[in-house]
Amino acid sequence: MSKNKQTENAQRVVVTGIGLVTPLGIGKEEFGRRLFSGETGIAEIKSFDTSKLSSHLGAEVTNFNPRDFISVKNLRRMDKISLMTAASARLALDDANFRITEANRDRVGIILGTSFGATDITVQFLTNLFNGGPANVNPILVPNTVMNAAAGHTSIELGFRGVNTTVTHFAVSAENAIAYAAAEIRRGTVDFIFAGGTDILSEFYYKSLTKFHALSPQNKGKESCRPFDKDRNGMIVGEGCGIICLESLQSATARGHKPYCEIKGLGMGSSSTKPTAWPQNPEGMEKTFNRALKNACMSFNDIQVIFAAANGDKILDAAEAEAYAAIFDSPEKKPFITSLKGAIGESFSSGGIRACALALSLENNILPPVVGLENPLKSLAFVIGKKKEAEINNAALAGISFGGTYVYMTFSK
Amino acid sequence: MKKRIVITGLGTLNAIANNVPDFARSLKKGICGIGAIDLFDTTGFHSQTGGQIKNFIARDYIPEKFSMKRMSRADKLSLAATLEALHDAELYPSPKELKEEIGIAIGGGAGGLLEAEEFYSDYLKNNGKDVNFCKLSSLFCASSTDCIASTFGFSGPKITFMTACSAGATAIGYARDLIVNDQASIMIAGGVEPMCRLTYAAFNALKSVDPATCRPFDKNRAGLSLGEAAAIMVLESLDSALNRGAKIYGEILGYGITCDSFHMTAPDEQASGAVRCMQAALKDGCLNIEDIDYINAHGTATPVNDLTETKAIKEVFGKRAYSIPVSSTKSMHAHTLGASGALEGIVSVLALRHGFIPSTINYQESDPQCDLDYVTTGTRKVELRAVLSNSFAFGGNNTTLIFGKYSDGGALNE
Repeated sequence: MSKNKQTENAQRVVVTGIGLVTPLGIGKEEFGRRLFSGETGIAEIKSFDTSKLSSHLGAEVTNFNPRDFISVKNLRRMDKISLMTAASARLALDDANFRITEANRDRVGIILGTSFGATDITVQFLTNLFNGGPANVNPILVPNTVMNAAAGHTSIELGFRGVNTTVTHFAVSAENAIAYAAAEIRRGTVDFIFAGGTDILSEFYYKSLTKFHALSPQNKGKESCRPFDKDRNGMIVGEGCGIICLESLQSATARGHKPYCEIKGLGMGSSSTKPTAWPQNPEGMEKTFNRALKNACMSFNDIQVIFAAANGDKILDAAEAEAYAAIFDSPEKKPFITSLKGAIGESFSSGGIRACALALSLENNILPPVVGLENPLKSLAFVIGKKKEAEINNAALAGISFGGTYVYMTFSK
Repeated sequence: MKKRIVITGLGTLNAIANNVPDFARSLKKGICGIGAIDLFDTTGFHSQTGGQIKNFIARDYIPEKFSMKRMSRADKLSLAATLEALHDAELYPSPKELKEEIGIAIGGGAGGLLEAEEFYSDYLKNNGKDVNFCKLSSLFCASSTDCIASTFGFSGPKITFMTACSAGATAIGYARDLIVNDQASIMIAGGVEPMCRLTYAAFNALKSVDPATCRPFDKNRAGLSLGEAAAIMVLESLDSALNRGAKIYGEILGYGITCDSFHMTAPDEQASGAVRCMQAALKDGCLNIEDIDYINAHGTATPVNDLTETKAIKEVFGKRAYSIPVSSTKSMHAHTLGASGALEGIVSVLALRHGFIPSTINYQESDPQCDLDYVTTGTRKVELRAVLSNSFAFGGNNTTLIFGKYSDGGALNE
């Protein structure tokens, strides 16, 4: 019996650190303060000219000084996405109060999600090639054209050598990465792992999104991000990186570190949706959420809050709201629903930042409001206006991507 | 006890074959698929050759009822290879009740870059005017995963990896775990990599390509040859395969992932990452060094990779390193980057199934520092129990897969 219990303990995965480089601030203190007071990181784009485009807003990372986090030796080889990622990982490591040493570095890993990678470097590389031919190609850019560069640079900067993988599956890149990382802790290949998501804004990328009519204002009206609102008219794109540190409960306990929360359930699934289209049908979400609850041995009623994927898109938000209305049909037991996209924008790999926010919510029993939400499209328990204080024991993180891919996870105190 | 995961279907298109039976034949014959390429203009590059897939007309592979609108070459190659693998596994057409339980894990690389490059070139010429951005809709490699799901109506987990040259192997390793962890019953797992200008220009700029044809482990090796491929496996639990009465190619015994944490484009010359990776895979599979009968090397033919990999094999296998055949089939199908781990996974499975060791072709002069048995004098006919396949990538990502021959008398690692 006691042996069984021990094996169970070894398989429990906990979140022991969070690191953030986001439009709401760098590090958990600034991020948390601004998030829970309902501020937004969305503003006029400053890093490039949007005057000729149909959208002008974005959630940019500002006041980020890589030198505060990254060694001079590695700094010059790193591009924007790698700098944000390595800085977030450094912050998460410090927050977890963990030290990477010669003795443990082979048991530390990273599984990172990125939806679009270093679009800035790819564009620069191809511009050189097409404007000047093969002789004009800059070899220094080459390593950063691959999507796994950010995780590679991070491992070099922090000096760890365990599992290292990069996941890219559009808007569920980060959720997929966190799920994989949790499985690696359970499999016992590493003792400590960084997981999360990272994406950046770049001029060509932003312009492409406007051409796909993906951004607010999709139709008419004021450009703004209003998740779950009747008058929503599209998403506003953002950037940033959120990293969580995962460990086995045993490892955290052994070093006397109090975890934020535990990862309990995981559900993965998909539905037949046209590639690049948001799913209109809530069934895939319901099915995957149910799978996560079953995996956690929980029922709907155990969940007090859902960190939703809704980003202000006409189709996505309606389907997601419908999914939760169907799952939680008893009115008095409805969990709170919040979405961060009005505050941090849609960075597609936002699951990393949202997982950090979820950890802070569980720790402090406060829920962040849905910035931009005034007239809910459905009667659900949305957190509107300002933060809400509530006893939170179990929370769900929703990962939904265009193309119809879903990853749901539940986290518990 | 851990669930045993077996391989029940294979599909591939690559420089030496456009289907699996032809691939097995070409491997046995030692065919070289590296030569001139016509997907784009190679004028001005350090090399002009590559391992291009020959005569690929998508409609010859993909039935009319499936739309290929806005699909990239990578998407179409993935669909063609998936169709072959599903047919092979007797899962096409797929029973309705199984579709919910079929997931997809793909290792990608350039995705739809080949087409996006054409778009971007026009974009630059026209100063951003009169260009159709829709051409970018299949740019990212997750597009291939989504295309497979939407075409066949699968609704299990979907995930795409992009870890350069180890992505395909990682996809197969993780797909195994998704079945072990009950997230899916059947996984379509593998990799796809199309040739494109960006990749070609990048490797040429680094001078890591051989201007002629790659010569793995040869004393005068001068770099890799770039290639392209789609390589797909159908994975399922042994119980599921037995219940369906499926043909079983072999089983996945172990996988390991590590990183060098050394340099973005060069392997750690101490080979620590590669050593720990092979050891992790052996440990994961509860295997000993004596169990491995053949190593399908990463063997890119860059001076440093082949030397480092040789060192790593010696460190892991000790004296036994000299008696295990090690070959690099990249000498035939070239380096297919994001697809390579999956393509060489198929090589490993075919070697187990048909009882042969493919050779390292193009080998002329021995390198005193690379002194293992690289199978340079032709294919060997021999029964194999387990095959280890290495994939090492830019960014210092390493993945090792170990495949075993299926025997109903129990697994090698029991």
